[in-house]
Amino acid sequence: MFKLFRFLKPYWWQVAILLISTAVQVYTTLRLPALMADIINNGIVAGDTNYIWLTGLRMIGLTIVSAAGSLISSYFAARVGTNFARDVRTAIFTKVINFNLLDLKSFSTASLLTRTTNDVNQVQNVMIMIFAILLRAPLFLIISIIMAIHTAPDMSWIILVGAAAILGSAVMIISIVMPKFKVFQKLIDKITLITRENLTGLKVVRAFDNEKLEKDKFVRTNDKLTKLLIFIDKILELQNPIINSVFNGTTLLCSWVGISLLSKDFAYLGNMTAFAQYVTFVMISFLMMSMLFVMLPRANVSAHRINDVLKKPMRIRWREKTSGMPEKSASVEFKNVDFSYPEAEEKVLDNVSFKAVAGETTAFIGSTGSGKSTLINLIPRFYEATGGEVLVNGLPVKNYAKNDLIERIGFVPQRGILFAGTVKSNIKFGAPNASDEQMRKAARIAQAESFIEKLPEKYNARISQGGANVSGGQKQRLSIARAICKNPDIFIFDDCFSALDMRTDARLRTALKEVTTDTVTLIVAQRVSTIKDADQIVVLDNGKVVGKGKHFELLKKCKVYQEIVKSQLSDKEYAKEIKQAEGGSHA
Amino acid sequence: MPKATIRKSMWASFKVFVKSLKGHRLPIAIAILLTIGSALLGIFIPKILGDMTTIAVNTYPNIDWGELTGKAVLVIALFLGSSALNYGQAYILAVVSAKYTKGLREKILDKIFKLPISYFDKHQYGDILSRMSNDVDVITTSMSQEIADVSMSITIILGVMILMLTISIPLSLISFVVVPISVLVVGRIMRYAQKYFREQQNTLGVLNSEVEEDYSGEIVIKSNSYEDDALNEFTRINDKLTKVARRAQIFSSLSFPVTHIFTNLGYVAVCALGGVFVIQGRISIGNIQAFIQYVSQFNRPITEIASTTSTLQALLAASERIFEFLNEKDETPDQEPAKTISKVHGEVEFHDVNFSYIEGRPVIKHFSAKITPGMKVAIVGPTGAGKTTMINLLMRFYEPTSGYITVDGVPTSEMKRSDVRRLFGMVLQDTWLFSGTVEENLRYGNLSATLDDIKRAAVASNVNHIIEALPKAYHSEISEDSDNISAGEKQLLTIARAMVANPPMMILDEATSNVDTRTEQLIQDSFEKLTSGRTSFVIAHRLSTIRNSDLILVMRDGNIVEQGTHSELLKLNGFYAELYNSQFAEN
Repeated sequence: MFKLFRFLKPYWWQVAILLISTAVQVYTTLRLPALMADIINNGIVAGDTNYIWLTGLRMIGLTIVSAAGSLISSYFAARVGTNFARDVRTAIFTKVINFNLLDLKSFSTASLLTRTTNDVNQVQNVMIMIFAILLRAPLFLIISIIMAIHTAPDMSWIILVGAAAILGSAVMIISIVMPKFKVFQKLIDKITLITRENLTGLKVVRAFDNEKLEKDKFVRTNDKLTKLLIFIDKILELQNPIINSVFNGTTLLCSWVGISLLSKDFAYLGNMTAFAQYVTFVMISFLMMSMLFVMLPRANVSAHRINDVLKKPMRIRWREKTSGMPEKSASVEFKNVDFSYPEAEEKVLDNVSFKAVAGETTAFIGSTGSGKSTLINLIPRFYEATGGEVLVNGLPVKNYAKNDLIERIGFVPQRGILFAGTVKSNIKFGAPNASDEQMRKAARIAQAESFIEKLPEKYNARISQGGANVSGGQKQRLSIARAICKNPDIFIFDDCFSALDMRTDARLRTALKEVTTDTVTLIVAQRVSTIKDADQIVVLDNGKVVGKGKHFELLKKCKVYQEIVKSQLSDKEYAKEIKQAEGGSHA
Repeated sequence: MPKATIRKSMWASFKVFVKSLKGHRLPIAIAILLTIGSALLGIFIPKILGDMTTIAVNTYPNIDWGELTGKAVLVIALFLGSSALNYGQAYILAVVSAKYTKGLREKILDKIFKLPISYFDKHQYGDILSRMSNDVDVITTSMSQEIADVSMSITIILGVMILMLTISIPLSLISFVVVPISVLVVGRIMRYAQKYFREQQNTLGVLNSEVEEDYSGEIVIKSNSYEDDALNEFTRINDKLTKVARRAQIFSSLSFPVTHIFTNLGYVAVCALGGVFVIQGRISIGNIQAFIQYVSQFNRPITEIASTTSTLQALLAASERIFEFLNEKDETPDQEPAKTISKVHGEVEFHDVNFSYIEGRPVIKHFSAKITPGMKVAIVGPTGAGKTTMINLLMRFYEPTSGYITVDGVPTSEMKRSDVRRLFGMVLQDTWLFSGTVEENLRYGNLSATLDDIKRAAVASNVNHIIEALPKAYHSEISEDSDNISAGEKQLLTIARAMVANPPMMILDEATSNVDTRTEQLIQDSFEKLTSGRTSFVIAHRLSTIRNSDLILVMRDGNIVEQGTHSELLKLNGFYAELYNSQFAEN
């Protein structure tokens, strides 16, 4: 929590005003009981009406000053608190948006989202609470004690009694209940888990007619939760009656002691009422502070989660300006490239070399975990190679300024991801200055034109958040159109054709030829059919290149490739393919 | 929404909420009585303390300790009694609200089971989950407090008013005048605060979806250099959020100092005027002391009521969302008496089946087909042709708009849904496993299966060696999103699960993506075993599956355009041939 206080720095003078106004407010509020004691002692007992009126006026003056102090401090508390939250949010967002994919993977999207919104809100609320309580309570406490002792020094021991009673009960209750809160949170999580499973597995639950089983599981947890909840409440609810009794008890004690001291000094008549109020203030301050002890741990969890994101070092540094001249003609080259995850022994990519040139299609195939997705992520520097060199247009990617590199690459990720907006805004996402002509061409090549034209508003049709209103295949085609519209030097298709049916897949690849005459095309695929026409196929196994060549060449000599093809064809078809390969030349 | 409508709808949801408390009404009534009792006992304490002062002053210097002791004992009895009743009330309400919310949770789960599957197409899981967790949570925390606070506040206000009036009518009038003014002003302020709080919630929602979209689409943002634009958009919303949050904070924190001004003004007026009255002998000193305490006691519940209206609104909003969900229309109940099939042969017939998810947009049109026992049926066609819909209809997840399906001559619509579903084993692309052990997951379809049965099925599904390799073998914990097993292995587990259930017929959806070659072969092999001798329906992507089928249904735009065996269909040289050629045959 306190680590986040650095975000308060720009607002130091506002915090200063906040402190001063709080002090003014506390002091003036606490002066009131003393003045009232004066009214009783010097006014009523002495029968001085004038004194009463004068003191009354002073009290009104103090009330106004106190209110002003309170207004000013509330205003600045709100201002500083919300500005603080805004800055923290922006810091997280900026950090996350510039994360490399490795860091992004180490948190889940959902958890990053919670960190940016809910956690910051938690911290903001506690921050405002701190301004309202943590600053105020100690001031209140100290000034109350001083004033109490000042008004009736003989009675000051009562403060100790009251404070001890309140603190004791608060500590007792908190220490019993706090550990239970963790269990409570776990049970709540479990309830959510079971509900979530029943929603995502809706069809399976119904298919196996297992509603009763699921219900029983739920009821068991629900019962536990209910029992725990009742237990916690039983203890927590003790607090009110105890506080009530302690307050009343101390007030009675004040009266009793005050009356017994009357013989010593008649001024105790007024003082004991004032004193009783000071003691109440002392006890309230303790209560407020104990409340903060309940709040702080929760905010601390949030603050930790925020700090985890903020302290993550930036792994990839980009140059301000590209150093060196990239070649005109497009190419991608890997020279002995290694990649391993931080703190991991095993290499995900091991000494990978290949060169892809303009006008040709290079495909990557291999089982899951063979490293093919990792490989292509190195090109736009989503990951950073741990050894060797990745060159784009003859220049190492490390030498590029970010925009210079990214604008050369049309990257289509595995999942079709769209943004809220229109069909148009999505296709032109990477090339805002593209003409409508260019956009339509991209849509046509991506086989998206037919369904876009069927939409009532065509290219201006709304796309809802995450593209929820279009089908998976349509999303994928739009995301391919987005890459085409950029008119890049290098196309990277990360297994994005699997979501399309085979027919669309084939058509799209044929149409694509129109725009790939001068570009490098890189395809990661699962289906042999998608890549068999590629000019170069790179076969990966456990991060190593185990075969490089054309379809029929690989069929002849690469064992891993043979296995892959075999798994996707019937025996008869496989035999036919092999025969063709043996036959050699294939048009 | 106009104000009157809001009030009306609040009143309506209030009525619904009160109605739902049926069965808990007696304990709630008792709790309210206890609250009133506790408040009434507490009210007399300042009066008696004041009397003590008066007695002391009047008998000074020969203070009558006997009478004072009696009063002191009375005070102790009163506050202990008040505290005891208060705790009784809290205890009862804690139990009631825990049980009430427990019931709500169970009702929500039941509802999830009873709703037609189509409901979940239109509603997001997150929303239903949030009703189960957040909304129920709001009710848990605010329900008992609300009941106690309101009854306590009303009692105190009424009781204190009466006591104040008995002490001094003119002083009471002064205090009463301050109250409506302060309530009016605070009410105004609160209305602004609420307006900004609502705006804050809305803006937070906007920010949330923006951030979610950016984080989950980060790869696209990176590959299009969109970071700066994303940050600009974020900053715009963040600034707006900060502005409304600040206003909401300022206005809500204003209410405290403002009421403070009014209470203090009343307090000062009572002190000054009371002092004058004492001198004039119109009132005793003890009564002034008591009166001053009453003034502060009187003001507290009034500000409390002002703040409870917002809690009440939150409570009603939450209960409204819960009951809105609970009142959704259930699936049509099963026919009574339902027909059953004693010995299943596995003959399935479609009789002119029509279906549409959205009225006017048919997905299946006039589909008829007869499948004889033991037949392997492959369903092929491009994405969106309606393949999954066929399965949904077979399993009765959806009902045909017209036409019907029979199994062994019995219309499935005349059977119990659970009986229909037990006829089929289902292996879907979406491999749902619940969190629990491997054993529990495999037993899901047949709760009476022994561990041996399960192991046998696992061996047959080629997943036994994978399970044995897990740290705790069959007792290893897994879940839907557990990453210790791969997607392909998960599918093998769902196959084993279907095998344990041993249903007379099978429905399979072949997955294509993200499975490595070796696992792919294992899956194919176990699919073979699973379908042998059983009537089975396969949404097919693999040529080998298609070629081995007894009947291929070729779907296009909701119609079965062609049906027959692989060679028959190829000879036909129609849509199937086109599909097949685009997929694998030579150019």
